[in-house]
Amino acid sequence: MNDHGDDAQPDLPGRERRRLQTSRLVQYLLLQALIVAACIFALRQSLPEPPGEYQVTAFRLSESGAERAVTLPYFSSLRHAMNDPPRFAGQFIRPASEAARAWSVFLPRFTNGVEVTVNGVVILDSRRDPAANRPDRNTAQIAVIPASVLHDGANDVSIKLFIWGPITGFLDRIWVGPDELLRPSYNLRTLIFVTLPVVFSSWQAILAVILGIMWVMRRHEPAYGVLAAAMAVGVGQAFLQTPMGETPFSRLNVILISSAPIESGLVLTFALLFSGWKWQRYGWIIFIPGVLLALAGLFGSQAMVRALFLYLAVPMVGLSLLIIAVVTARSMLKRRNVASLLLGCAVTIMLTCWVVDLLSVFQMMPNRIFTARLSYSAMLVAIGAGLTWRFARALNEVDGFASRLVTQVREAEEKLKASFAREEERARAAALARERTRLMRDLHDGLGGQLVSIVALSERGNGSAPIGDAARAALKDLRLVIDSMDDIGGDLMLALGSWRERAMAQLRPHDIALDWRAVTPQGLPVHPELRPWHVIQIVRLLDEAVTNAVKHANARRITVRIETLAGADGLDRGCITVEDDGTGFEIAPDGAAAGAIKAARGLRNMRSRAARCGAELELSSCAQGTDQGTRVRLTLPHRFPDSDGAAG
Amino acid sequence: MNPLSDGPKAEAITVVLVEDDAPTLWRLQDALAKAGYQVRAAGTLTEARACLAQGAPKVLLTDLQLPDGHGVDLIRETRQRFPETEIMVISILGDEESVISAITVGATGYLLKDAFPTDIAATVRDLVAGHSPISASIARFIVRRTQNTPEPPPGPALNTAKLTPREIDILWGIAKGFSYAEIASHLGLSRQTVPGHIKSIYRKLEVHTRGEAVFEAVQQGLIKL
Repeated sequence: MNDHGDDAQPDLPGRERRRLQTSRLVQYLLLQALIVAACIFALRQSLPEPPGEYQVTAFRLSESGAERAVTLPYFSSLRHAMNDPPRFAGQFIRPASEAARAWSVFLPRFTNGVEVTVNGVVILDSRRDPAANRPDRNTAQIAVIPASVLHDGANDVSIKLFIWGPITGFLDRIWVGPDELLRPSYNLRTLIFVTLPVVFSSWQAILAVILGIMWVMRRHEPAYGVLAAAMAVGVGQAFLQTPMGETPFSRLNVILISSAPIESGLVLTFALLFSGWKWQRYGWIIFIPGVLLALAGLFGSQAMVRALFLYLAVPMVGLSLLIIAVVTARSMLKRRNVASLLLGCAVTIMLTCWVVDLLSVFQMMPNRIFTARLSYSAMLVAIGAGLTWRFARALNEVDGFASRLVTQVREAEEKLKASFAREEERARAAALARERTRLMRDLHDGLGGQLVSIVALSERGNGSAPIGDAARAALKDLRLVIDSMDDIGGDLMLALGSWRERAMAQLRPHDIALDWRAVTPQGLPVHPELRPWHVIQIVRLLDEAVTNAVKHANARRITVRIETLAGADGLDRGCITVEDDGTGFEIAPDGAAAGAIKAARGLRNMRSRAARCGAELELSSCAQGTDQGTRVRLTLPHRFPDSDGAAG
Repeated sequence: MNPLSDGPKAEAITVVLVEDDAPTLWRLQDALAKAGYQVRAAGTLTEARACLAQGAPKVLLTDLQLPDGHGVDLIRETRQRFPETEIMVISILGDEESVISAITVGATGYLLKDAFPTDIAATVRDLVAGHSPISASIARFIVRRTQNTPEPPPGPALNTAKLTPREIDILWGIAKGFSYAEIASHLGLSRQTVPGHIKSIYRKLEVHTRGEAVFEAVQQGLIKL
């Protein structure tokens, strides 16, 4: 990996991806190698055996007329020996002291059937035990020797080995001894090789039902249907019994015989479908061995079927396992999901066991214990775990989807609300604008014209100047109201722009200069919540400040400062300051001007206007010195109140 | 809007003043006459046309609501016949409803009817000097029209498509109450170029119909009938 990474260019995504893929593949293969090693280690462990002193291994074998000495375990080269089976004759010693205990003959492993005779009396015929007749089951046999048959000293034991294929005959070492010493070993083998497979078969039956239901409910996922069929075939295989001889039901044997290739074909199909392969017409190739075997069973003899089994079924199982291993590895690398990983590991276990079984069939192992069928349970566990994992993930997805849906619905609702509010706001603004236009026309045609006439007439008459001033003030106020009703988009600066013009027009006859200073470039912050009534209050407040400076302060210069202040709370606030260089006045402790009643009322008005808008008003005045004059400082709220409930 | 200090008296500058309200007409006439302008006053559209028939005035000040017609027609006619004449609307409220419609036919700004006599004289003097006054509320109206809104705000139609971003920036400055000097320094302009931009804004807001274009071509001798 390192030498690969050195010359890999990281800016090439293809290279990078390949590198990542290789690294993943290596990791996966390492894991599988580890599993294979663990399997081999486990298989090399021999099962506990009874005490060695009771083991009988020296026998004389009579086979097709000839007789010779053999030592168990013995691999026969015969594939079929029913009428003239090989006969093993041996001896064992039963000490006199053991007469009180029951003695048994324990045969841990043989293929295919045995008949055990002690001192000329047949005590065991394994062919009557259906489970023992299955060479793939590793069934052990034990038989108690009747006390009457045994005698102290040497006793004869002879074993006939019946062989009916498809594999050659085999007889493991046998034990003859006290039943209590042999039976634990027998029980353990029965538990592992007979009971456990039944338990797994039940599990397989449950899986078949679950998968069948899943397929019925989700027809678009045929993988589950295929796997359900595989499981069903497996269950049938496990519980069907091998009939001996040509019985009326012996034709059923074909189901048993062809089940292994058919089941492996189904599992292979499942693995292919599961990894994203689309069913093709040539997919039927997978089932050819199984179908051929079934046809042979239906129309041929049992011997032929058994011979065919070796050439069709066993390679088919191995080939299926190999393909599944490759397919799951690819699927694992591509999709990186837990189900593929589990399946891949299970297939590796099965493949290892299959190879070991094959070696033992070819007598390359010291014993003949078949584990492939047993290791199939690993696959079943993997399938069960994979299904559960998928189910849990699907549930999580449903949960996630539901919560996402809830969020989306909430978002949509909020958007709708917002757009509704916006729409309402727009409609309100449009209505306001229409109303303003209508009002403006009315005022223009009526009140406005009359006020202008009053101004004009007052200038002609003598001593009627106050009337003209009043009419002018009325016109000014009229303009203020109309101006405030305009939609300024929350930008108070736009209202102040018009106010500046009006203030300048007001100050010009008095020769008072208006100094306009926007300290911060943008002036004041924009307030989307700004309403016309806020604007009117603020502008009137500023008018009041200017009017006070004109009427009472005898000022020469008025300075208006506009700025945005960053508050201590991090929120920006607009601030408008009106300053004059006039005479100033004393401010009483209660904030009111100590001087003229009229001025006091003006100040009270200003305070009340500021409070309605949620603004802070700060008044300071100085009668002498360089700071002489009055300063009105209005700090705007960060957010203008919706209603003037703060009026006071 | 920014009156200059008292300058030299304008000699022989003719102003046609059209206003139907007699007291208002008198006070405006007084203010202008005292400032040295030669004023021809009219109370109706017909009288105004008669005044204009005597020759091109330097300035036309007109009310919009006239007893026998609308001031907008008078502005359009004057603009076509005497392109050199500066035209201003006399308004009661300075509301955009009337002022904008006057601008689109060629008026330059407005004069409030209750303006002080000194302001009246100063405004006309600035106008004659080539300055085009624009009020904050009118600037505001124009710039709000340049913003993209789903539906046009109510009020008179206004085509702002020809305005440049710089001109729009200037209008924003005026709408927010900044002086020409402040605007010029914000935008990195020379203070003297701002009035030129404003004049250009006025011209761009003028509506030139096909008929007007033909009329102008005839006036300039480009087309012979």
